Amino acid sequence: MLVEYSSLITLVALTAILAFSFYAVLIAGQLSLAQLGLASLAAFTSSLVVPAEPLFGFIPPLAVGIVFGMCVGIIAAFILGLPVIRLRGVFLAIATLAFGEMVRIFLINQSWTNGAQGMSFPKLVGIEIAWIALAVVAFWFWRLSGSRMGRAFAAIREDELAATTMGIDVPRYRMASFVIAGAVAGLYGVLLAYFSRFADPNEFSFTAAVDGLVTAVVGGVTLFVGPVLGSVFLSVLPELQRVLGVDAGWIRPTISGVLLLVVILFLPGGLSGLIPRRKSAKRLIIDPAARPDLPDLPAPGTELVRLQGLGKSYGGVHAVRSVDLTVAAGEVLGLIGPNGAGKTTLVNMVTALTAPSTGSGTVLGVSLTDSTKAHRLAQAGVARTFQQIKLFNRLSALENVLVGGYRITRDTLLRRLLFLPSARKWEREAVAMASAQLIRVGLGDKAANAAGDLSYGDQRRLEIARALASHPSLLVLDEPAAGMNHVEAGRLAELIRSLAADGIAVLVIEHNVRMMLATCDRIMVLNFGEVIASGIPADIARDPRVLEAYLGSSGSDADADAAAVLAAEDLARVTAQSVRDQDRGHPDAAPGGSTNESGATDLEDNR
Amino acid sequence: MQLFLDGIFLGSIYALFAIGFTLVFGILDRLNLAHAAVFTAGALVGIEIVTRLGVPIWLLIPLVLILGAVLGILIERIAFRPLAGRHDAHFAGLISSIALGAIILSLMQAMYGADTRRFPADAFPQARVEILGATVSLLQVVILVISVSLMIVLTWLVAKSKLGRGMRTIAENPHAAAVLGLNVGRISSTTFALSSALGAVAGVLFTLNVNAASLGIGHAVELKALAVIVVGGMGSLPGALIGGLILGVAEVLAVNYIGSSWRDMVAFGLLFLILILRPQGLFGARKTREV
Repeated sequence: MLVEYSSLITLVALTAILAFSFYAVLIAGQLSLAQLGLASLAAFTSSLVVPAEPLFGFIPPLAVGIVFGMCVGIIAAFILGLPVIRLRGVFLAIATLAFGEMVRIFLINQSWTNGAQGMSFPKLVGIEIAWIALAVVAFWFWRLSGSRMGRAFAAIREDELAATTMGIDVPRYRMASFVIAGAVAGLYGVLLAYFSRFADPNEFSFTAAVDGLVTAVVGGVTLFVGPVLGSVFLSVLPELQRVLGVDAGWIRPTISGVLLLVVILFLPGGLSGLIPRRKSAKRLIIDPAARPDLPDLPAPGTELVRLQGLGKSYGGVHAVRSVDLTVAAGEVLGLIGPNGAGKTTLVNMVTALTAPSTGSGTVLGVSLTDSTKAHRLAQAGVARTFQQIKLFNRLSALENVLVGGYRITRDTLLRRLLFLPSARKWEREAVAMASAQLIRVGLGDKAANAAGDLSYGDQRRLEIARALASHPSLLVLDEPAAGMNHVEAGRLAELIRSLAADGIAVLVIEHNVRMMLATCDRIMVLNFGEVIASGIPADIARDPRVLEAYLGSSGSDADADAAAVLAAEDLARVTAQSVRDQDRGHPDAAPGGSTNESGATDLEDNR
Repeated sequence: MQLFLDGIFLGSIYALFAIGFTLVFGILDRLNLAHAAVFTAGALVGIEIVTRLGVPIWLLIPLVLILGAVLGILIERIAFRPLAGRHDAHFAGLISSIALGAIILSLMQAMYGADTRRFPADAFPQARVEILGATVSLLQVVILVISVSLMIVLTWLVAKSKLGRGMRTIAENPHAAAVLGLNVGRISSTTFALSSALGAVAGVLFTLNVNAASLGIGHAVELKALAVIVVGGMGSLPGALIGGLILGVAEVLAVNYIGSSWRDMVAFGLLFLILILRPQGLFGARKTREV
């Protein structure tokens, strides 16, 4: 029985290893078809170095081949990655496919490979070695899935831009996944050649690459056992048909095709989607003692952001003109203005998502230039939310916040491979930190829900929790109250005040002017890319230019609401001295006073 | 000159295949990998029709167009529409179209076997003409005329007709198009039908040109077509035409001057270079990312 099927069972393992090579790139959201090209490079070049006798008398020839093949895979994947890593989606798939075909044509035209006649290899791989190799590969990906690196891959797959603002160096991680895939492909190539005793470059063709991809996708990429399931399914299927006596040449591919279609249409997560996921990444850790020791935030009043004449133009359109701005630790700076005033462009420049055209700026000691990377700024302690929510939709709420903690956690992959207790401790710390943020924004009971399934207001809060998990010095909120009702907006305002009290500098864009007047220490008003007013809320509320900007804009309902609020504030000022104005005025005298002046000069400069 | 003309004939077939391929990508943002199976089916069924019924070429082309359109609608209904709205529609569409393509091919195998098939020797005129000192067969001229006129009709259709406006609206934003009252499902089906009709005709013309059809011909051309649409610019119809012609000429020249074993290196080398230097292709527009 076992003897009869031994070659089938070995092939199941080898196919699964190939599928893992695709899996390694798919988990980072990349589609590469170069795997077969890398495998054939590794297989054929290994034949040049594998000795007939054990090396130094004790290193088996196959070990030499495997190590060499994996190195070839790594190096080739790295070199290929240098130019193609910036391509996305279908373009990456086609470029890597072209690479695979070029390798094939190259090898066919070489004399040392015997060209299309193929090359024979000694039989060094049997059922045991194939399955041991598969076990090692699967083990690696199992330990990867719960590590910080695994979470970074998942984040990149879900939303690259959001991942960048968590401090994740996206190109480096994409390259890492490419190189890991290359190593696994190299392993596959060597094992296959020394198992089947014969290899011809044409076996490593586009069709074979598609088969590998199909195996990985049918198995599913949500769980590390996916490639194994896919391989078992697709390898056993033809065999099963043979046993059942289905023999006609065309029936087998038809049945395989139909089953593949059924799996892909009706099992969105692939076969591994049928297995319930582990629960550990869904449970909160509430114990405060488990939280990590965090570095202190800058002392309140420390200047964190200084912009001088910062501007951005697109063609002839000036989205933002010459803005001067400072933000200090522990203060809440509001940015208001009608739609299209340039608010989001300004905060995109502050978070290095957009390079400024003119002027200069320093954020947490990093100067804003064309080459400033957003992830560098995030590493320095800037966190942000987005006007258009950018969550990692398929990850749970808790996993989203865990990714947010990227900056303050350490990579645990190597320690997880060795089951070191410190890995467990660090993972606990990360979960405890994330749990605290989820509870802080009021989402403690929704930790296990997929982010994409949350209500709009909850998604906004989750984004804030994710940003807080990085223990930021500067928090940038882009319209955090959009889509929230009055009660929710009120709670949000309280949260923002409490963050400032912790010493975080908060830069917030919001259309809800009433909330802004009540929450901010200072407010800056933008219109047509220029600062038209800047100062404490009480002054902004009674500034006629601000009211005019809102009334004059033929903009949205939000603008009209803002105008109504400002008009009401104006009325309130005439009829009675608002108590709130006085309350606000005093505590902010120190930072507010000095910036008030700079705000005034802004206005003079701009005229 | 002879080489150049041969390249143009070959290239016009690549272009016809690629234009159907890129139409679906440009409008629906899906890569339909069953296109190669449609190409093969067009070739094999075309041979069957001619062998059994002895129809002339001018009648064969409309018949194959209809066959392709029907296959296209089936592909859209079976492999793509059920995936609508799924987050992994991209990957899943690739795989489901591969699966459906395999099914189509296996059915072809069931009907016609796995052997190479040819058109009957006397099915089409064998006349040859001299143009600019090069000898071309009447058949090659017919191939060129058919493929160029089909491409012109298609380009006109997409640029000017109401259907074309609907297609371009969906390409911009399918959701908004649905809100505006466009029947997204029907326009998607029509797009697939047009695309596959061209693919099936390309299969017939390709087979006429080399006079041999087997189950595997689709795959080889599919790879070339990927190169063509990337070189021309993903989703660009004129790009696919020019890209196809460039590739055809380049291949013929490569076979002549470098050797046939390196022939495919040209397509992929060109493809790789374009992707690195100008990922949007010669005629494609770069899509910018939104924050």
